[in-house]
Amino acid sequence: MTTATKTDDYLLRVEGITKKYGANTVLDKVSFDIGKSEVVGLLGDNGAGKSTLVKIMSGVVPMTSGKYSWDGKLQEHVNREVTEELGIETIFQDSALVPQMSISRNIFMGREITNRFGLMKVKKMDEIATRILDTVVTIEGIKSSKQLVASLSGGQAQAVAIARAVHFKRSLLILDEPTSALAVRATEALLNYLRQLKSEGVSSVLVTHNLHHAFEVCDRHIVMNHGEKILDVRREDTSVEELTAAVVEGAEGVRRFREGRPL
Amino acid sequence: MTSHYMKVKDMPDSNLGEERHVMTAPAPTEAVAKVRRLSDNQPTTFTARIKDNLQYIRGRGSLEISVILILVILGFAIASLANPSGFPFLSPNNLSGVISQNIPVLAILGIGTGILMIAGEFDLSLGAAIGFTAIAFIRISEAFGWGWGLIAGVGSGIVIALINGLIVIITKIPSFIATLGMGFFWTGASIFVNGTSPALLRKSKDDVLVALFAGDYGLFRSQFVWMIIVGILAWFFLHRHKLGNHIFAVGGNANAAKAISINPNKVKLMSFAIFGACVGFAAILISVRTSAMQPGSTADYTLIAVAAAVVGGTSLLGGRGAIIGMIVGAALIRIIENGLILAKAPGFYIQLFVGLIIVVAAIFNKLMEGKAS
Repeated sequence: MTTATKTDDYLLRVEGITKKYGANTVLDKVSFDIGKSEVVGLLGDNGAGKSTLVKIMSGVVPMTSGKYSWDGKLQEHVNREVTEELGIETIFQDSALVPQMSISRNIFMGREITNRFGLMKVKKMDEIATRILDTVVTIEGIKSSKQLVASLSGGQAQAVAIARAVHFKRSLLILDEPTSALAVRATEALLNYLRQLKSEGVSSVLVTHNLHHAFEVCDRHIVMNHGEKILDVRREDTSVEELTAAVVEGAEGVRRFREGRPL
Repeated sequence: MTSHYMKVKDMPDSNLGEERHVMTAPAPTEAVAKVRRLSDNQPTTFTARIKDNLQYIRGRGSLEISVILILVILGFAIASLANPSGFPFLSPNNLSGVISQNIPVLAILGIGTGILMIAGEFDLSLGAAIGFTAIAFIRISEAFGWGWGLIAGVGSGIVIALINGLIVIITKIPSFIATLGMGFFWTGASIFVNGTSPALLRKSKDDVLVALFAGDYGLFRSQFVWMIIVGILAWFFLHRHKLGNHIFAVGGNANAAKAISINPNKVKLMSFAIFGACVGFAAILISVRTSAMQPGSTADYTLIAVAAAVVGGTSLLGGRGAIIGMIVGAALIRIIENGLILAKAPGFYIQLFVGLIIVVAAIFNKLMEGKAS
């Protein structure tokens, strides 16, 4: 362990992350921290490298080179098992839950409560799921934890996925485009919920290309452009206008904005 | 914790009364008492709980098909009572022949196929695999005794299915086409191993083997008992074991399963292995009853097994299905077949009707899926 690392500063730190698919470099030496109880917006246009970055952070895809540290500890091999152990949960757009399964089975998917033969305690799972739906998030319109997820709206399903992450005491939530399929009010509710997570000590990364949603809720913004990090700025030091310039025009846009030149 | 959350609907100053799904920021605590809790809404009386459970079974599509099966059996029974000689559906001979002989083999194949379909894969080499595993069972039994034969039968079924599964998983080609090709391969392989003349089960077929796998006990035969045993084991595995839950998860949404660190490839391989075990076991039941296996004669089983699963409400897209449905589907197909034979319908009627049932069942499944989402 290097003595220079202050462990209480951040939860996740990535340094010089590079990802290549053949000769194609999708991520080029990207470094940033995610602080404890911090809501970070990961912004960028389509093809900026957000999705690849999310997959590397959540351990689904291995990086070509770079360092990945968690709570001051360098992680050698980052795969899904490791990130699961660390407490990272990724809620992918439209694919967080299995529509054909009940809410309760979805909540306990992969973390079933079983006896020693691996047989599930279905009744207990249903009861706990009901309690989660009562206490962790209040979602209107849900009748029973046995209801199929297919019968839920996009917002309700997102809420169930978040409730699941909170119940299992995840410490970092990565939400991939959570608002893109939601109605206006459901989006408001989701953003409110992210603020709630923060007060419960959960860090979250909000991946989006909706700058207004990000600006409303994030403490810090990281803007990606063509596989590079071009902006990493605290909420109070930036504006929606600057973020827009960064997302749309890239690094040049940030310079232009800061020099006050018109487009 | 609860005090931080409430519904927008209940907020005094809210005009969002019609909003359906809302998570809200902290709100005045005095309003919390009004929040309707989900746990207060659970069925408490016996009938309410039954209704709740029926709703759940209905969601899996096996309730309707069970009702249809009961209606068909009732209809046939009435016809048989009205005209016992013209339509001998209820004669002990017929009951033991159909219920105890034809249905169990198809039901076990349907269970294997259905579990694989829930995982999102197909194995169209089923018919060829039955031929190969039956020959493995017969030849090993003849050479080393039927104890080894049973191991060889089920074991070769599992190995064949695992090879198919590995091809599908490694190459990522659709299982439809991979296993269609492998079907031809396994048919060829059985002829290569056995030659074109049938493999015969003779000296190793003793009374114990027959009593175990083809015994006639008047009202029922051994096969019927095996169907119930396999059905119960499969039910506990698929609907109550965590690995069964993973099969539903992977077939329903592989990405969601992966995000929660379930390995879809492992789960699919496991489903292929279970399928293989079912095929091997069904092949043993067939061989003990008929005492012979001609390579290339079992191709018909492939699609009728898929049909049994589909008729029983198993989704063609994966993620949905129930063991009871697969058994009921197999029973419905075999009983309608039997009714047509008893009514002395020409052979093509049977194909015509079975074909019709399959298409209607598939359309019905599609409608169910549409309703669910």
